[in-house]
Amino acid sequence: MNHATRTRLLASAAVAATAMAASAGLARADTTLTFVWHAGTCADALVEIAKDYPDKSVKIVPALVPYGPQWHDKIASEFAIQGDAFDFAMWDSQSTAEFASHAVKLNDMFDQSSYLKADIFPPASLSRYGEYPDGSGEFYGLPANQDAYGLTYRKDLFEDPKEQEAFKAKYGRDLAVPQTYQEAKEVAEFFTRPDQGLYGWAQMGGRDYDFATTASNSFLWSFGGELYNPETFEVKGYLDSPASVDGVQAFVDMFKFGPPGSQNWGFDEVNTAIQQGQVAMAMQWFYFNGSNADPKVSKFADKVGFAVLPGAVGRDGKFRRQFSVGGQGMGINKYSKKLPELTKFMEWYFQPEQQKRYAAVCQTGLKAVLESPDWQGLNSYNRQFSTALAYLNDYWHLPEYPVLLDELQQEISAAAAGTKTVQQALSDAAEKNERTLERAGYEIKRGESTPEVPDQTISPVGQDKVVPVE
Amino acid sequence: MAAADAPITPEGQAAAHAARQAKLRKRSSGRLMIFGFLSPSLAILLFMVAYPVFSLVYYSFFNFSALRQATMKPVGLKNYTFLLSDPELWERFVFTGKFVFICVTLQMLIGIFVGYQLQKNFRGRDVIFTILMMPMMLSPVVVGFLWRYMLNSEWGIVNFLLSSVGLPKVDWLGQTNAALWAAAAADTWMWAPFIALLATAAFRGIPETIYEAAEVDGASPAYRFFRITLPMSAPVLFIALILRLIDSFKQYDLFVALTGGGPGSSTETVSYAVAKTAFSYFYTGEASALAVILLLIITGLSLILVRHLTKMSEKY
Repeated sequence: MNHATRTRLLASAAVAATAMAASAGLARADTTLTFVWHAGTCADALVEIAKDYPDKSVKIVPALVPYGPQWHDKIASEFAIQGDAFDFAMWDSQSTAEFASHAVKLNDMFDQSSYLKADIFPPASLSRYGEYPDGSGEFYGLPANQDAYGLTYRKDLFEDPKEQEAFKAKYGRDLAVPQTYQEAKEVAEFFTRPDQGLYGWAQMGGRDYDFATTASNSFLWSFGGELYNPETFEVKGYLDSPASVDGVQAFVDMFKFGPPGSQNWGFDEVNTAIQQGQVAMAMQWFYFNGSNADPKVSKFADKVGFAVLPGAVGRDGKFRRQFSVGGQGMGINKYSKKLPELTKFMEWYFQPEQQKRYAAVCQTGLKAVLESPDWQGLNSYNRQFSTALAYLNDYWHLPEYPVLLDELQQEISAAAAGTKTVQQALSDAAEKNERTLERAGYEIKRGESTPEVPDQTISPVGQDKVVPVE
Repeated sequence: MAAADAPITPEGQAAAHAARQAKLRKRSSGRLMIFGFLSPSLAILLFMVAYPVFSLVYYSFFNFSALRQATMKPVGLKNYTFLLSDPELWERFVFTGKFVFICVTLQMLIGIFVGYQLQKNFRGRDVIFTILMMPMMLSPVVVGFLWRYMLNSEWGIVNFLLSSVGLPKVDWLGQTNAALWAAAAADTWMWAPFIALLATAAFRGIPETIYEAAEVDGASPAYRFFRITLPMSAPVLFIALILRLIDSFKQYDLFVALTGGGPGSSTETVSYAVAKTAFSYFYTGEASALAVILLLIITGLSLILVRHLTKMSEKY
């Protein structure tokens, strides 16, 4: 080999080595893990925490959409084409049934990972945000962001001695955070003063996505109603049972104590009302407490308190406190080609250090953080949230969820707007829901009779007396 | 006559035959060239239009969900019969019809009026023209959200203005009729400038001499407008009408942002139902059938209108 040949070979080797190194470097730098979620405080928190991921070659890229149908549709559309435009996503607990066939079954991950195991999450949380079918032990989502409906109230009004005195004079009892919707109605009525720009109660009633029904379901379940019978798939006689009608009627009646037009409100409008001190009480997700308690966002931040939502004494004399579960599970797109990188990221992200940071603004699902003595003091609402976890209920865990939801939304929104009576709206919703289930192939086993209070026959939670919570 | 009666010689026949062959060759090579030039566009058009339409019609005969990936079950015309017997679909057609009628009427009236004013030369005309065009440049979703905030019953500017002059506040988006008018107002705000733009162009294209002659004959301004301006700009205005009719008929995004289809399902247009059935419910077969129905209606409507337009163009 002469000198010229050797020089050429060495030069070629150097070029090849440089190219390989460069391409390896590029590949490392190009590892992006894209996630879909709705925009908001919690998605921002995830992005902030991910910036500190030690492996700098991996970048977490958010693909955020507004909360609502666009969010569901974005995930669903990608799954429909079996695409990998995102690697992981946060989806609603009730969407697990619909998306399970497109998501990675996490049991294998639990088996293979040294840290990411099922027992690092509270069993109820893991089941709520990831298990499908219910009770099967098969998981498709991790409890990344827990949430519950809660009560936000004006502490300054509730603690004002003049208000307390006036309330006692009118209703013969102390002014306090209501434990039942019957009490809430009186407190709301007391604070409804349109001439002062003050109203007693704010809640969502809008047509979009699940706005109206997450609120109305909380009333429906507390009064002993049910959406359907999961054993027989009967909807008629359950969704439009007398107890269900009582609950939804109580929900519709509360609009009398809300700002005019609040029947059409979503969470944005409820937040605005809280942040402007326009309402004495509001039914709102714990998710938003971070911003509602932030003085940079709300001028009433130091005047609001957070509590667990009331329950109700139903027509059977039983007390129930049941409200909608919120939040999302974190699922992995099974068409993603970056499962190893994703597993490593999740093993890091679900460490207590990261989850403690997350828990300062949102609700973690990691047991180590939830059980730590300082978690409840991280903000002004975690204590109430930990209590709220015991009273959660959910929609149907069926793949037909988006259709059933839309049908119920239509009818509850119509009842809230006053274009249908509650009885008519629930009967129409029951008719549509049954038709949807039948079309999907479910066999509806019609019983001889239907219960007046369906909760008595489906996993009863009724108690003989009002059980107050702080 | 003499030439026709002259006997045809074999040489003549051969020459005529050769000429015919040459002409045919020329014509076929011309056709080949035209086909050659057109084929890339035709191929793209076939791929982009014919294939999706064929797929749409094909899927409409199946019980099929793109998300759930179960086997496609042929159901014949069942999707069509289910849809056409669903009273809610007819309610959506009625709502869409009302919305189209209100929007297009308002947009044509306002657009023609504004266009007539803008055809005149005056100082600042171009600035006004540019400002008027701005809503048209926004996305319908942005317009929907913008109007949603403006129409908020409690802190929206519309109710603020109403109450400042002593009028009661209106729950614009919480009542069926109010929501229809609110959506029509938002759509008109967005698209009346489009009509104004086309109307201005059409009005300015009418020769000045016609107006001068009419003025000499003593025609009043109203007579000139109704007997000269409108008829002579009719083809352009008719095109504007067709475009707005079709566009309003398939309105979807405005309603997503403005009303979410509510209250109840009272502001769901047919296009809204197609999108919801296809991408929220993922009833792909049923959504395809609904899209075919919508396609047939829009195509039929367009054919009728285009036929009128052709007649009108021949007239003027």
